Amino acid sequence: MSDLQTLSAQLIDLARKAGAHSADALSVADVSDAIRVRHGVVESVEHEDSRGIGLRAFVEKKEDGKHGLAFASASTSDISAAGLKRLVEQVMVMARISEADPDAMPPVGAVHPDARQMTEWQKHHPCPDSAWSIEAARDAALACESAALGYSDKISNSEGAESGFGSMSVAYASSDGFAAAYDKTSASLSVSVIAGKNDAMQRDYAWDRQLSSTTLRKPQDIGREAAERTVKRLGAGGLNSGSMPVVFEPRVATSLLGHLSSAVNGRAVLQQRSFLGDSLEQSIFPEFISIADDPDHPDGLGNRLFDGEGSRCSRLQLIDQGRLTAFLTDRYAAGRLKTTPGGHARRGLTGDIGIGSSNLVMQAGPLSRQEMLHEIGNGLLVCELIGFGINGVTGDYSRGASGFLIENGEITRPVQEITIAGNLRDMFRGIRHVGSDLTWFGSVAVPSMAIDGITVAGQA
Amino acid sequence: MNPADVQTNAAPANISIADSTLAEMLHAMTPKGADDADLYVQYSESESLALEEGRVKHVSCSTHQGIGARVIKGEAAGHAYTDRLEPAALMEAARAARAIAADTQSRAPVAVHAGEQPHALYLPQNPAFAAPMADRKALLERLDAYARSLDARVKQVFANVSSSFTDIRIVRMDGADLHDVRPLVRLNISVVVEHNGKRETGSAGGGGRFGLERMLQGEEAERLTREAVRLALLNLDAIAAPAGPMPVVLGPGWPGILLHEAIGHGLEGDFNRKGTSAFAGRIGQRVAAIGVTVVDDGSIRERRGSLNIDDEGTPTGRTVLIEDGILTGYLQDKQNARLMGMQPTGNGRRESYAHPVLPRMTNTFMLAGEASPDDILKSLERGIYAVNFGGGQVDITSGKFVFTTSEAYLVENGKIVAPVKGATLIGDGPSVLTRVSMIGNDLELDPGVGTCGKDGQSVPVGVGLPTLRIDELTVGGSEA
Repeated sequence: MSDLQTLSAQLIDLARKAGAHSADALSVADVSDAIRVRHGVVESVEHEDSRGIGLRAFVEKKEDGKHGLAFASASTSDISAAGLKRLVEQVMVMARISEADPDAMPPVGAVHPDARQMTEWQKHHPCPDSAWSIEAARDAALACESAALGYSDKISNSEGAESGFGSMSVAYASSDGFAAAYDKTSASLSVSVIAGKNDAMQRDYAWDRQLSSTTLRKPQDIGREAAERTVKRLGAGGLNSGSMPVVFEPRVATSLLGHLSSAVNGRAVLQQRSFLGDSLEQSIFPEFISIADDPDHPDGLGNRLFDGEGSRCSRLQLIDQGRLTAFLTDRYAAGRLKTTPGGHARRGLTGDIGIGSSNLVMQAGPLSRQEMLHEIGNGLLVCELIGFGINGVTGDYSRGASGFLIENGEITRPVQEITIAGNLRDMFRGIRHVGSDLTWFGSVAVPSMAIDGITVAGQA
Repeated sequence: MNPADVQTNAAPANISIADSTLAEMLHAMTPKGADDADLYVQYSESESLALEEGRVKHVSCSTHQGIGARVIKGEAAGHAYTDRLEPAALMEAARAARAIAADTQSRAPVAVHAGEQPHALYLPQNPAFAAPMADRKALLERLDAYARSLDARVKQVFANVSSSFTDIRIVRMDGADLHDVRPLVRLNISVVVEHNGKRETGSAGGGGRFGLERMLQGEEAERLTREAVRLALLNLDAIAAPAGPMPVVLGPGWPGILLHEAIGHGLEGDFNRKGTSAFAGRIGQRVAAIGVTVVDDGSIRERRGSLNIDDEGTPTGRTVLIEDGILTGYLQDKQNARLMGMQPTGNGRRESYAHPVLPRMTNTFMLAGEASPDDILKSLERGIYAVNFGGGQVDITSGKFVFTTSEAYLVENGKIVAPVKGATLIGDGPSVLTRVSMIGNDLELDPGVGTCGKDGQSVPVGVGLPTLRIDELTVGGSEA
């Protein structure tokens, strides 16, 4: 057993001895490096080395004739013997304050992956040793920024290029005897540059993030993409208000899947905080849309064998030919929604367990970007969205946007200082075309989408 | 303030690293040619109780400790962060922070000695000290019952009370040792209402750097609850907001988020030193109408955005950003100030020991004018009166910013016609304040709810505004 596994198991023991009915613990150790260059010289170097442990303990309560389990969560980065003792004391005091919930799901009896599945998983998901040293990361960042700066003489400034790499070890243990640990590495590279001068400046960026530096996009390609995007934005103007079809390129279409993921979150559904809470088994997208939560995809960064409660994860179809077929659930939400636990418990060191998707994968469509623009005729291509104007209860949507005007099937000019607004329910139903350009962004894979009838506000 | 008092008032457990160890680290990490170097020792505790579906069933706490070592030379900075506090790990961190400097000679060793402590703007203690957990639980239960008693359409109540304190110790390159213990509390209520099959939500919150017991006493918690219910019910009747450019009147208080997004970020030293901000090189130029004065002030007693010293040990104070419409200043940390030949303004902040220092806002607001709020509203022929907002965001380089209404009204001929649904307003930072035509006499600061994100780092901030008329802003409604 690793040190972290020993630590997690030890904590559960301590909690049981302190009177806990049951407990589970998550330990994380993180070592990461990041280097940032700007105008060809190193601007910043960061090295981090951290550890932490989170404990959740359940206690039995018998108050006013009510019987049930209450729980609390505590975390610390002080893993000394005194630190662990204090953690257990804190969690027990708080669990006794916390109120029992008749539907509480203690960390006992979850469907865990078995030993064979864990071995198989490790075999198919070897933790690749990051091939990066700080020097290699620096060289990648320099090459990336240099490609961006050299792309065009319209590139006037740089916000720098940054590369990072790290490894994380995670160990989980629960009081029903399940214990597991895994390691995960990551590598990332990003760059942001500026074109134009004074009050006509534009900025854009490009990035990639992978499990290993060996599968990252080439630094030069990331640099050129950032520069090309930036230069294309030069001379952006306004656009008069009106209702029109809007094409979301993959980079911004990810946010639409994010809004879907929040709306099908089992906890939001239970709390009546989702505009899709009453829509199970209904058609909420056109028939050509299918979306799955896939915890075992060769290209996904969100792959996992078990979730934050130790429950085994498996593929779940969320949208099947337009129909909403499932909600994302942990064991608690599944119990109350009377469904099988989906393995979507999301857990960090601090705070409570939440619910989240692993990898969200949408099915690509038949059209190339160009064919899609031709089908649209006139409308707006959105490349960047800012702001937080989403009401999860009603689905009302209003965000700041920039992109390009589409006229007669062609991109004619960059536009900015506009908003796009509608209601997500109408927007989901209003998807007219899906592109063939399925693109992965970490743990979301999404193609371009063209949506009808979105209100654009602005001034030409 | 005596550091010894800080220790007795603060956490029961605390980091203690010997002065000699810190001096040794400084010596090991600081090359002779360094412009700056410091150590940032942090110990934080936080607690949170949350109620949903009538039960306080989410209770959690966390303890976070560690040390950040930093070396600065010219435009470059080396950082190492660790929560391993044994001497060997600390020395390794010190060496890692030195990685940016090629010179092998070290700066002469210094002795760690007490630095000069400025103002004491809040009590240096755990704010939950005098508010037992059982009392906090009782408060949430009381608010749940109260919200449901206000209106039968209230279907769900979510209430959360959280408190934290961060005990920091900054040892600067010259050995000066500075302390700050920063309490922070927050109460939040949100409700879901339902009527005729239609659901809506409303929320309200407040807090600051004071003892949590203040949230348990008096009427403030009830007032916030009424506010959350009022907003949710109001939104049930909201019509679609109009789309397009029009005059907008902003209410006092939290709508000051306009300044935070449109002006504040663009005036942070790093973006201006690098020439990436739409405001770069504009000091001395007119960026707002006559009468518009905007300040950032981190030295207001007990405010959420206030600090005794920033995260580099510089005392906080008031920085005038725009004076009578003219751009006068930037928000600076030490590195950017040095590179620009300016003075640090006490705005160097980091989310924790494990993050780099960046120039950030504290409490950013516009000074009051002379117009009566009523007259300002009456002046609106057709436009939007926006009283409350959710979050906002800005593109520093193009200057385009957004912020989204959570309580707003369509106004015609100076009279409120109807509440409108949440809409994003979009504008251009360097020009939006030139369109200010009336400034109210009713400056208010927000209730203590702001959190600002930059480069993935979150820090608590405040904003403030008097009632303000802007002659044109694009309203992103769905009614074209």
